[in-house]
Amino acid sequence: MASEAHAQPGPGHDHDAHGVASPGHDSHEHGHFGPEMWVIPERSELVSGVVQRQQEGSSLLRWVFIVGGILTILGIVGFVLKLVTVGFSDHNDWGFYVAAFAFVFTLSASAPLAACAFRFTKSHWRRPLTRIAEVFSVVSIVNILLFIPALIALPEIGVMTESGEEMVRRSIWFQELSNPSGWLMASMIGLVFCSLSILWLSAMPDMAQSRSMMTGFRASLYARLAGGWYGTKRQWQIQKGGLAILGGLYFMLVVFVQFLIVSDFAMAMIPGWKDSILPPFYTVISFQGGLAAILLTAYALRRWGGYREYMGQAPFWAASKVLLGLTLLHTYHLFAFFITYWYGRLEVEQAILNYLMFKSYIGIFWAQLFFTFFIPFPILVSNHARREGWGAPLAAVFILIGLMLFHIRIFAAAFAAAPADLHGLYYLPSDAFSFPALLLPPPGATFPDLWDIFMLLGGVGIVLFLLRVALMVLPPLCLWEMKEGSMYQRVDTLIRGRYLVLAKPE
Amino acid sequence: MQEGKVLPAAQVNRDLLRSILETPRWFWPVVSLLGMIVLAAAVTIGIMVDRGLGITGLNYKVVWGFFITNFVFWIGISHAGVMLSAILRLAKAEWRRPATRAAEVLTIFSLMTAMIMPIIHTGRPWRILYWAFPYDFARGVWPNIRTPLVWDPSAILTYLTSSTLFVLIALVPDFAVLRDRTTGWPKIVYTMLAMGWEGNPRQWKLQIIAGVLLSALILPVFVSVHSIVSWDFGMAVAIKSWHSTVFAPYFVVGAVHSGVSAVVFAMILLRWAYGWQDYIRHEHIDALGRLLIVVATGWFYFLVMEIIFGIYGLEGDELAVRALQFLPGDHGVAYNVWMIVFVGITYFLPVILWLPKAWRRNLWIMSVACISVNVGMWLERYLLFVPGQANKQFQTFTWNDYLPQWPEALIVGATFAFVSMLMLLFSRVFPLVPLYDIKEGDILKTEMQIGRRTVPATFRED
Amino acid sequence: MAMQGIMGMLRNAMPAASAKHTVLGVFSDAESAATAGDELKSAGIPDTDYDFLTDSPYPEGSLGERDEPHRLYLYPFIGALLGLSSGIMITAMTQVAYPLVTGGKPVLSLPPMAIVCYEGTMLGAILFTVIGIVFESRLPKFDLGLYDNRITQGFLGLRVKAEPEQSREVVQIMNAAGAVDVKTDQ
Repeated sequence: MASEAHAQPGPGHDHDAHGVASPGHDSHEHGHFGPEMWVIPERSELVSGVVQRQQEGSSLLRWVFIVGGILTILGIVGFVLKLVTVGFSDHNDWGFYVAAFAFVFTLSASAPLAACAFRFTKSHWRRPLTRIAEVFSVVSIVNILLFIPALIALPEIGVMTESGEEMVRRSIWFQELSNPSGWLMASMIGLVFCSLSILWLSAMPDMAQSRSMMTGFRASLYARLAGGWYGTKRQWQIQKGGLAILGGLYFMLVVFVQFLIVSDFAMAMIPGWKDSILPPFYTVISFQGGLAAILLTAYALRRWGGYREYMGQAPFWAASKVLLGLTLLHTYHLFAFFITYWYGRLEVEQAILNYLMFKSYIGIFWAQLFFTFFIPFPILVSNHARREGWGAPLAAVFILIGLMLFHIRIFAAAFAAAPADLHGLYYLPSDAFSFPALLLPPPGATFPDLWDIFMLLGGVGIVLFLLRVALMVLPPLCLWEMKEGSMYQRVDTLIRGRYLVLAKPE
Repeated sequence: MQEGKVLPAAQVNRDLLRSILETPRWFWPVVSLLGMIVLAAAVTIGIMVDRGLGITGLNYKVVWGFFITNFVFWIGISHAGVMLSAILRLAKAEWRRPATRAAEVLTIFSLMTAMIMPIIHTGRPWRILYWAFPYDFARGVWPNIRTPLVWDPSAILTYLTSSTLFVLIALVPDFAVLRDRTTGWPKIVYTMLAMGWEGNPRQWKLQIIAGVLLSALILPVFVSVHSIVSWDFGMAVAIKSWHSTVFAPYFVVGAVHSGVSAVVFAMILLRWAYGWQDYIRHEHIDALGRLLIVVATGWFYFLVMEIIFGIYGLEGDELAVRALQFLPGDHGVAYNVWMIVFVGITYFLPVILWLPKAWRRNLWIMSVACISVNVGMWLERYLLFVPGQANKQFQTFTWNDYLPQWPEALIVGATFAFVSMLMLLFSRVFPLVPLYDIKEGDILKTEMQIGRRTVPATFRED
Repeated sequence: MAMQGIMGMLRNAMPAASAKHTVLGVFSDAESAATAGDELKSAGIPDTDYDFLTDSPYPEGSLGERDEPHRLYLYPFIGALLGLSSGIMITAMTQVAYPLVTGGKPVLSLPPMAIVCYEGTMLGAILFTVIGIVFESRLPKFDLGLYDNRITQGFLGLRVKAEPEQSREVVQIMNAAGAVDVKTDQ
């Protein structure tokens, strides 16, 4: 069972400065933190306890399954009806679908990266969070399916007019490819494959350990996926090295695919939008959303899922600082974009600012800013809120709502920015002098129809549904990493106080 | 990650105060040599003020050359201080301890040096006063706050003030050590500076909170400074290749890249000069090397974004600048060759050198890598600023290139001597490695027995 | 609040008018110093009357010392408010006083004002934090009182203010706990 701490320091403790205590039995008695800050589970009890809880399930997870399932069905219904009613002839009709797809993609691609990043920094507090981050890889499988309609809806880069003139729109593919769909899909498949490889490699020791405790489908799945794992020193070394290399590759792939998606599906769809900070900005907001999703999931599992004995407040306390940093970085990138366009005062820049921020989508822009910055910022600045463990998940709820609004503002707006005729997209910004239509006032905001709303809800639903499915197959805690953590963490006496001791073997 | 042994406090004092209580034989000759170079530059500045900027290579088309490049370079170096000190302090990285003070001090001196550049670049330095500060009550002429050239002084002065106070506050406990170890007039000075510090729990508690709180407050300033410097360029629509939204984070990450590299090199020099092998250890250089791989890769990503979206618009003026930067041309200066050199020595060479652990622990290799980064980052700024100005622009019919003249070369070279001299003089009167931070690290050090292995461990308060 | 800090500073700057005696024990290790602290507490000396003096920070509570409440967190907020107000005043008043339109931007342009105001806010917050650190640390302290230079050499000091009749007992406690030296101001 987990050890918990008492709050106040006091005289009469052991005087064994730098003494060695057995792991798992100590209590953190220093006055800074409450008893639930650091929880160091017993190694011997960990596997059986977590597997038992996983098999038992919880009402929370049942509700997630039901709600996620219903929303997913709604999304599928919305998609089918949209397809039947409008088809793919006009890209303007598919903006909200692309927003929903990008939302799912953003969350599922960014969340596993947190596991890689925190492993790289060797933070001990990461341990209860890594598997939750990694199971988002399972959600990412659906990205491949969702990507297909988005690619079909994406207008081609070059078209021939009736007069035989080739008209092109701006693209990061620089007109070298008339249809980059194949490359886009290949990069998406590569990303999903890499993400699943990380999950598999990370989960292999856990599956090998708990296969004997499982029955039915899980037992046979574990036996197949982790059949050759015996936990030899060589295997551990290869696993560790593999996770580091895959983590590095995954980081580069995530950033690259996010660059492709936001450039092709947002920037290139608004005539005259040339914005070099958009890909990094998208990456930052994705990381913010990914971490928010992890923290919210972890909090729900801790609070209502029965994992309180394995997860203290420390992961939230530490990760919330990272979330605060990402929240600030998000706003910083937004301001860097804004000030450059505002100051430049080129007409095309003013038009884009008016379209995305100050006229057409002003409501959704401010709502998004409130949800992604003005509300989470004070919550995350508060030491009390962060320390008690509820600050980060509360901020995460707002951030995730803001993330959805961001996707609507950027992707749905981009798909509705220009009409699907030859003059809408196929002019370069420098043509503004010869093509005054580019300098017309920007169009008004587009609103979702019922099928669009269904698809947006379906985006949320599919994340919930697949997350629940993934948690049926895998325990939400990385058992080997938690056991390793129990080995390297203890609470010990230093003169008169009791403090956490962290060992760093490397 | 903790390879050092716990040293007695008296030895820590003796070792780390050696630079103050003893004078190495090389000290004054080196300081004198650096001083002479600085003096030569000061005389050159005098000549330049007297005869005008005409004696430099600046001309009608290329109005921002070596001085502005050097200004941005030193602002970049100044970012190491807060990066290392604040971020690592907030992250509670144990290996930060020997590096923080040197990094913070480098921040202050780099900022001071950077500020000199635009001032002398104006040609009429005294006019800066009413361009940047609202002081001219008599004539009713006030600064135009809508220009980044006014945002810049506000940010740099905020950063300089904050960094200086940050260093001074952290120096107070070390002043107390010096107060107790010196006699005569130095004792009087250190006694005043120590302000009666006695090291009671309340003072230490506030000192620790100060470190965290000031770090958290200075970090946003640090980000704003180089962002605003980037906007000196990014706000301009007239010069193609400058008006790019990514400039702010691109400059900040580049600054961290060059700044942290500079700190690593400075640490290696200090270790060698003062025999601080027990304090600046291979593990610290190794950890900084790992950090630099991440920073360098982040910087490279921003570089790629800047270039891709420069070309993305396919606008004629912009493409012409990019052609000047990347393609061989018939003009005199081969920017494209410098471009290849710059990317090679700023990213590929150092990252290759940082990848193997054994190389990260080799101080010679680390020195080469860090110098390479800084030469590259200087070139980066030059290649970012000059070709854009040299190229013919829309409705502008002049085409001129830029060839720096001796005054610029001398002054730019002397800035390196100036910063080195200031660092040496600082180390003569103040400890460059925080004594109490090292001692605190020793108190918190412990070990954990895991099977047959003894693993280094640390006590943590949170 | 800041006033309290100033008063505290002045109080500390003045020579103590108290009739209490001061005893300083110098210890070579933290364990002995902490033991002496425990014994003093057992002897009925309030923990506000003694202080550990060290050359580096020990983790809070590790010497069994009293908790030290402080109000440092208020200072940056006050500073930030003052800095922001100054920033708004400087940017707005100078532009209104000299309304020269440049670059087609409004005279009172909020984005540039925000940048300068941001710097002002941060400068104010940092300046006040530093002032707060000094005041809350009860510095400057012109009279160091009973002190020993060995404290900055790794020794620990335990300085006690005791009633005259208790000072002998305090000295005994220090010696029993293993003090290498005990000094008194009498």
